[in-house]
Amino acid sequence: MKLEEKLGTNKYYVDETCPHIHIDDTGFTMEEKRKLVNCCPAGLYTLQEDGSLAFDFAGCLECGTCRVVAGQTIVKEWKYPRNTKGVEFRQG
Amino acid sequence: MELLVCIKQVPDTSEIKLDPETNNLIRTGLPSIVNPFDMHALEAALVVKDAHSDSHITVISMGPPQAEDALRECLALGADDAVLITDRAFGGADTLATSYTIASAIRHVQTKQGKPFDMIFCGKQAIDGDTAQVGPQIAEELGIPNVTYVCDIKLDTNEAGKPVTVVTREHDLGYEVVQATLPVLVTATLALNEPRVPTLWQSIYAKRYAIEHITVNDMEVDKERLGLGGSPTRVRKVYQPPLRAKVVMMDGSVADMATQVVNMARTVKGGATHE
Amino acid sequence: MGIDTRERFDVIVVGGGPAGAAAAYRLAQAGVKVLLLERGQYSGAKNMMGGRIYTHSLEALIPDFRERAPLERQVMKERISIAENGHMTTVEYVQSEVPQNEESYVVLRSKFDKWLAQEAEKQGALLICNVQVTELLVHQSSVNAKPQVIGVRCDDDEVYADLVIVAEGANTLLLEQAGLCAAPDPHALAVGVKETYKLAKSALEDRCGLMPDQGMAWLTLGDLTAGLMGGGFVYTNKDSVSVGLVVGLDKIGSVETTVEDMLLKFQAYPAVAQLLKGAQLKEHSAHLVPEGGYHSMPRLGGPGYVVVGDAARMCMNLGYTIRGMDLAIGSGMLAADAYLAAMGEGDSSKTASHYRHMVHHSWLGKDLELYRHFPSFLGGTDRIFQVYPQFVNDIMKDVFTINDAGATPIMGKLLHRVEQVGMKELMIDALKGVRAL
Repeated sequence: MKLEEKLGTNKYYVDETCPHIHIDDTGFTMEEKRKLVNCCPAGLYTLQEDGSLAFDFAGCLECGTCRVVAGQTIVKEWKYPRNTKGVEFRQG
Repeated sequence: MELLVCIKQVPDTSEIKLDPETNNLIRTGLPSIVNPFDMHALEAALVVKDAHSDSHITVISMGPPQAEDALRECLALGADDAVLITDRAFGGADTLATSYTIASAIRHVQTKQGKPFDMIFCGKQAIDGDTAQVGPQIAEELGIPNVTYVCDIKLDTNEAGKPVTVVTREHDLGYEVVQATLPVLVTATLALNEPRVPTLWQSIYAKRYAIEHITVNDMEVDKERLGLGGSPTRVRKVYQPPLRAKVVMMDGSVADMATQVVNMARTVKGGATHE
Repeated sequence: MGIDTRERFDVIVVGGGPAGAAAAYRLAQAGVKVLLLERGQYSGAKNMMGGRIYTHSLEALIPDFRERAPLERQVMKERISIAENGHMTTVEYVQSEVPQNEESYVVLRSKFDKWLAQEAEKQGALLICNVQVTELLVHQSSVNAKPQVIGVRCDDDEVYADLVIVAEGANTLLLEQAGLCAAPDPHALAVGVKETYKLAKSALEDRCGLMPDQGMAWLTLGDLTAGLMGGGFVYTNKDSVSVGLVVGLDKIGSVETTVEDMLLKFQAYPAVAQLLKGAQLKEHSAHLVPEGGYHSMPRLGGPGYVVVGDAARMCMNLGYTIRGMDLAIGSGMLAADAYLAAMGEGDSSKTASHYRHMVHHSWLGKDLELYRHFPSFLGGTDRIFQVYPQFVNDIMKDVFTINDAGATPIMGKLLHRVEQVGMKELMIDALKGVRAL
């Protein structure tokens, strides 16, 4: 099962109007980008063919791991989704 | 302005599972939510209140006592008052009996507050029944104009200086702009607005609010027109059509998957299937 | 009845998880006017852990929790595995009975946290869900004065109290923003990822060799984390199994493996794969885990605030067992007791100093302090995750392999394996480990 399919079993209230994480990978090394690709348990950071980093906030599990590893570098802004939005764990 | 929002608590259909044996919907243990279209109806009322600060929003729902949770959600978003129409006598109502009951309760609330509602907001339909009948039928019962499938609402005055709404309706073929005098009932589509999120003080207010219950004895009603007995239609069966096709998840690069899709399309077109 | 935005509370608790709910419970029980704020739709909606709670502190808070709490299974079976390249060495311990207050249970946080917060509500706490605290309100009377927390902001709304109990969890956005703790240190934090699979009760019990309603906690370390600090876990729920892993974050960019790859690798081990066979995925979740222990703890409180639970990094990973919830509940209770003690002296501003003192002199602080060197031992000894898993499995292979090449004495085999690893390194690590424990 692919990770995107796995995330499909989760309950999300996606806030289409307002991404809660902003990134900018301009000028950062591959290792710095690799950290994000590796650490995100939802696989939301992906390396593109041109070496740039793409990010999709919609499947976010709100763990904050990317902020811990790259909060001073690539991750420019990290907030929780607005009230009532985001993931809702039914198991936890 | 006196504003009323009609809401329904519905099972969260995104969580619905099918019984693999009987193919029936498993309804037990489903979380309840406010019907999503109704959230847009509430937002429309809140937008009117933002512009006309002397406005007052009442939210009304019909259902079992648990529907209080849905009403509290609306209070947390900014509604001022909430009323629940609840009685065993209302059980089993179809859309006609439901609209009659809600309209009767609305008359009751109007009499009690001594003021009619200027605008009534409903969702265009509920996600559990998908009938889109209750809103318009309430308007019919109350004898006021109604505008369905609304994606934009403006308040204006007409040539006679009377307040009117200018409403845009969503159609299959385009948009229709309608002007209606007040009072009016509108039913909201998802395109109407983006619902806001709850705030702290409003949530505290919602938590502490004592929701008024309206029962059959509170209203002047024709009891013949209530509940199962007042319902000319019956739901005989709810079922999921049997699955006819198998879902295939594809793997590989975009180019690979595109080729796969093309091959599949060819197979389907030719009518031949390969296992 | 209207809205009065000037209304004050005695105490505001930020976060409705076990630490916050325990604090609110205890305060409300004592008649304190307490506001419990939770950003999820319900408490637990944003929370996740592997699965086990040691219930001694919960029992002190709610003595009849066994009848009331949503507990999945009591842990009666402990398993520890060392995995490497498809090989797995497992130690299993089954208890026949467990004394009260030494029990542990598997719980699902969406149910358990929800229940505990509702219990706090029943005691009289005002529980508000779906509302996120966006800022701790800090007042500084003069340049040299210590900043005092006077309340919280939730978007545009503000609310004030004598004390703010910060129970925001491991992702300490609010404390950092207010300058009350440092930016998160990747050395002290790990990511936990978990999948919960639906499995019929009988199948689950058969596959794990469990008596009805009994549960298993199973920790695995080895090559699944690609040489990084961490390990896999399996916990048995009522009719589902939780399978996941925890990975340290400090060297996460140095490997060619994602967390998801690691999880797949763990799940491909035959013992895990067989357990999950035919089971249907219900949820894929993740959370930060504070692994830094005692030395990573921030200042536990100051004027107007105290910090409890994961936000205070009160978590202990000893490799063979992981504790967090018992410390969270314990710290929440101590925060409440500190406030009550301070109010008993007529001065709520003494809460933080009482709390710090109480933590350090209770089982909570003592346990954390006792194992204070363990996180740096785990984090600083790469061989645990890179060399020893193979070492252990190689020894097992030697012991259990018979062929026609002629037998060698077991001692000889063992020494050969020790030489491969290096006698000196082995002794150093063993001594460090023993000392850290």
